[in-house]
Amino acid sequence: MTRAGSKWITFALWVLFSLMTLVPIWWMFLVSVKQRADLFGKPSFLLNIGRMTWDNYAIVITNPAFQKYMLNSLIVSTANAALVCALGLLAAYAMSRYRMKGKDNIFFWVLTNRMAPPAAFLLPLYLLFTGVFSVGEWSLFDTRIGLILLYCVLNLPFAFWLLQGIIDGIPAELDEAAYVDGASTWQVLRTVIIPLAGPGIAVTGILTWVFAWNEYLFASTLTSVNARTITTGLAEFVTVTGTNWGQMAAVAMLTLLPAALVLALVQKHIVAGLTFGAVKG
Amino acid sequence: MRSSTTGWLLLLPTIVILVFTGVMPFIYVLLTSFFDWNLFAVNPEPQWAAANNFRRLVHDAEFLKSIWLTLKFTLYVLVSQVAIGFALARLMMRDFPFKKFFRAVHTLPLMIAPIAVGATWRLMTVPGLGPIPYYLKNWFGIDYRLSMFPDQAFASVVLMDIWHWTPFVTLTLLAGLSNLPQEPVEQARIDGANEVQIFWDIILPAMKPVLLTTIFIRIMDALRVVDEVWMLTQGGPGAETRFIGLHIWKIVFPKTDYGYGSAMSLLTLYLTIVICWLLYVAMTARKERPL
Amino acid sequence: MFMRHLATSFVALAVASPAMADFWSDAGAAYQGVTIRGVSESTPPSNYVRDVLAPKFTEATGIQVEFETTSWDQMYDKAIKDMEAGSGIYDFVYIEQDAIYSYLSRDFLVDMTKMMAENPALVNPEFSFDNFTSFIDYFKNADGDVFGVPMEAFIKVYLYRKDLFENPEIKASFQEKYGYELAPAKTFQQWHDIAEFFTQYGLDNGEELYGTTVQAASGHPASWYEFWESIAPLYGVYNWGINQDTWTASVEHGGRMNSPEAVEALTFWLDLIKYAPPEATASTWDEVASSFAAGRAAQGLVYGENATWIATNAEKSSVVGNVGVALPPTAEGVMEEAQAGNGYIGYYDGGAFGIPHSSKNKEAALLFMEYIAQPEVQADWAEAGGRIVLNSTYDDPKVQEIDAKTDHYFTLMKDSGDLFAGAPPYPFHNQVREATAPFIYEAIIGNLTPQEALDKMAETTETELKNLGYTAN
Repeated sequence: MTRAGSKWITFALWVLFSLMTLVPIWWMFLVSVKQRADLFGKPSFLLNIGRMTWDNYAIVITNPAFQKYMLNSLIVSTANAALVCALGLLAAYAMSRYRMKGKDNIFFWVLTNRMAPPAAFLLPLYLLFTGVFSVGEWSLFDTRIGLILLYCVLNLPFAFWLLQGIIDGIPAELDEAAYVDGASTWQVLRTVIIPLAGPGIAVTGILTWVFAWNEYLFASTLTSVNARTITTGLAEFVTVTGTNWGQMAAVAMLTLLPAALVLALVQKHIVAGLTFGAVKG
Repeated sequence: MRSSTTGWLLLLPTIVILVFTGVMPFIYVLLTSFFDWNLFAVNPEPQWAAANNFRRLVHDAEFLKSIWLTLKFTLYVLVSQVAIGFALARLMMRDFPFKKFFRAVHTLPLMIAPIAVGATWRLMTVPGLGPIPYYLKNWFGIDYRLSMFPDQAFASVVLMDIWHWTPFVTLTLLAGLSNLPQEPVEQARIDGANEVQIFWDIILPAMKPVLLTTIFIRIMDALRVVDEVWMLTQGGPGAETRFIGLHIWKIVFPKTDYGYGSAMSLLTLYLTIVICWLLYVAMTARKERPL
Repeated sequence: MFMRHLATSFVALAVASPAMADFWSDAGAAYQGVTIRGVSESTPPSNYVRDVLAPKFTEATGIQVEFETTSWDQMYDKAIKDMEAGSGIYDFVYIEQDAIYSYLSRDFLVDMTKMMAENPALVNPEFSFDNFTSFIDYFKNADGDVFGVPMEAFIKVYLYRKDLFENPEIKASFQEKYGYELAPAKTFQQWHDIAEFFTQYGLDNGEELYGTTVQAASGHPASWYEFWESIAPLYGVYNWGINQDTWTASVEHGGRMNSPEAVEALTFWLDLIKYAPPEATASTWDEVASSFAAGRAAQGLVYGENATWIATNAEKSSVVGNVGVALPPTAEGVMEEAQAGNGYIGYYDGGAFGIPHSSKNKEAALLFMEYIAQPEVQADWAEAGGRIVLNSTYDDPKVQEIDAKTDHYFTLMKDSGDLFAGAPPYPFHNQVREATAPFIYEAIIGNLTPQEALDKMAETTETELKNLGYTAN
């Protein structure tokens, strides 16, 4: 087979896979722009432009609750991603460069935090949030800061692992040289590690951002009205409107949109960043 | 390697945060698991039950079924995702037009909230509205109803997970493949090895650490799947897709059986840790003494 | 039409306000700037409170209201956790009738009768618990003290498609096939025949029409509820077949959960699924209402909160004007038992708002409870949610107008409401439901026969009650 031939076969295969990926999303989009009367009957994957409507989006976007949820999600995910990247970077640097007793056990322990079945931990977290971490009338419950801290339990292990792989990939000689020149740990981090790990940090940040954006169970239990996020909004929408499929699809599309934008940003680095410290071998 | 004091200082913030958000709840769950505690029992106060909750678990058919379903689900999605992901990663290594575009499209499901993934698949499968029941019926005469047929429900949940998470596997394996040194492969070609031999003897062993890492992460997340299954099947029909995360939720929340639910969580967490630990040992062993 | 209603209601309020203004602004003065928080299930009546009544209350009193409406299971979870932990997040919570016994058993709620007696300044002179329908009795303790202000109440009725049932051609062909006249089902045989007939009719005419709705979600307790709230009682098995003297369920131990009547009921109900739309096994209360509203079913049991919008809201329903309302079919003798007060023919569904002990703003919350209990606000609320909790609401011209459009659903509720009953007084409601519901699911998908399912349910109920301490180990 010629090289050009195999190139186009690969291309054709990818067209096929992409269709498989896109069909459910495309269907959701179709449902979101259909009129109520057109929902049932013979399903068609073609967009009927003449009968399409943006009403579902208009209803959702103009809903003040939805706007608040969106804003909360943006703040919580951004702050959480920044926090776990910062803490993860320090921890990963320590793990990668320092001689510490029981390092492997600490590493594994950090990972176990992501393994716990979330349902049972909701009760103690609820008690901590409402009763223990509170000052007078104020408590962590239904606050964005509460979610920002809580998502560390899911995202910090992940960031820690990814970043460790990335720092492991940076030759230790580089920071040794800087130390010899009299740099402090902080200066080494700032001038050597962060610039070299840049793409990796970006990928870590974006993935943790997406995970935080997507989290549902904790947010649904530990928020009430003020700090509710978009995923809880979506779930609420689905369970309570039951069969208002058009609006549900519109909310789901709007939930997906920011994450898709983020994906477009990170495209360039995503593969290089996802090494998890395993490749060095 | 540098002195450990600074190292611990750098680790400290991470440890502190995880103690508050991870360890403290864990201790609470641990203590609760030794009590009989249901808010709406005749005596609603926690009562010391020693290891009774754990003893009950061993004979609890629903719990065992749920664990079994979860393991089955994990195995199915893991094998499929690694196989498909590996194939796609290899395909992505080739040269073809619009490569970046296809990679972006392939990554898309990864970015979608599990709860929205469930919603998406529900829209695909609702009788009367979704295309899947319609075309299965009209083209193949298959009566597709998630809420009626356990096998269909299980298969749909597995398919949904494959759709959602294969991109992650593809990307990590792609990262691994891109970093593989090319010399051994080329040397083998010169020596006359065919593609199959090259794959089994050179690429696969070299990819083992990446594979293990990917599997580790996927197992960890597959064992705690809740959101998308909840959205698609609510654990039904019957209890045929009531995976352990969902089962625990039902015990702890609607049923307010805190003691028993805590014991269940602990056992599940223990099981997860054991599985992951075995993998972790395999991973670190590889790091220390290259095969 | 809707706009006109809205306009009249504003007029009504405007007329009413001068007299009211004094009390609400005076009483609210002490709580200016206070924010009260509530949680409820997101249903039409609750959403009306959030969107209409809460803002009006804020205007009248200066008290802010944050009202969280969420899904049914989330609502329970949040309210119970808050009251149990005493965290004081919520100042008022929605209490579904079937949850009141659990809440009372744990002493979660403030005794409103007592609170009003102790704080006369907080009581609107026009407020009285006597204004309420008898539904309020469910929220009283043994001494008659009230723990929740009813905000919604409905009955689960039998809905049928008038246009189909009154079509002469259809009537003739039904008469020919079954030898009796097509009419709303009075017996189970009729229910079955009608279901079979219209399913066949749908097939013959290429229409998406099925014989009956069935609330048979195979993974959601909605199916459990339809069976134990409606179907089993219609066969004469009440209170889930649990013997309340011995806290046992199996026939062997003196209960009726797996009695022959219960088996017959379950067999009948499961058999209906084959005449139901394909979504029946995924249907909770919402989907049943949607299926009926979409014209996909000829008859079925539907919660009354949906009856009004199905019958009147053309935006959401394609069967406006064609909805008939009737009492559900019963087994022999059951109607007589219900009339004598010894049984019931379905669920008198509804809920109230109560104030948790843990609330930090009990007084402001009490004012809100009184505000939403004003006769003036009831009619529009009834239109939005099909609920009636005050006796006076039945006589409101607007409600009577809706009543005429809904085939006299409200009249039926007023006259025959007594035949329906709330959930049995079980503090272990959720616990036994969760423990036994999986067997209903298994029966729906055919993994268990009705007899097996009910045997297992009875056994599991007894184990659960033992675990909860109702019977000795």
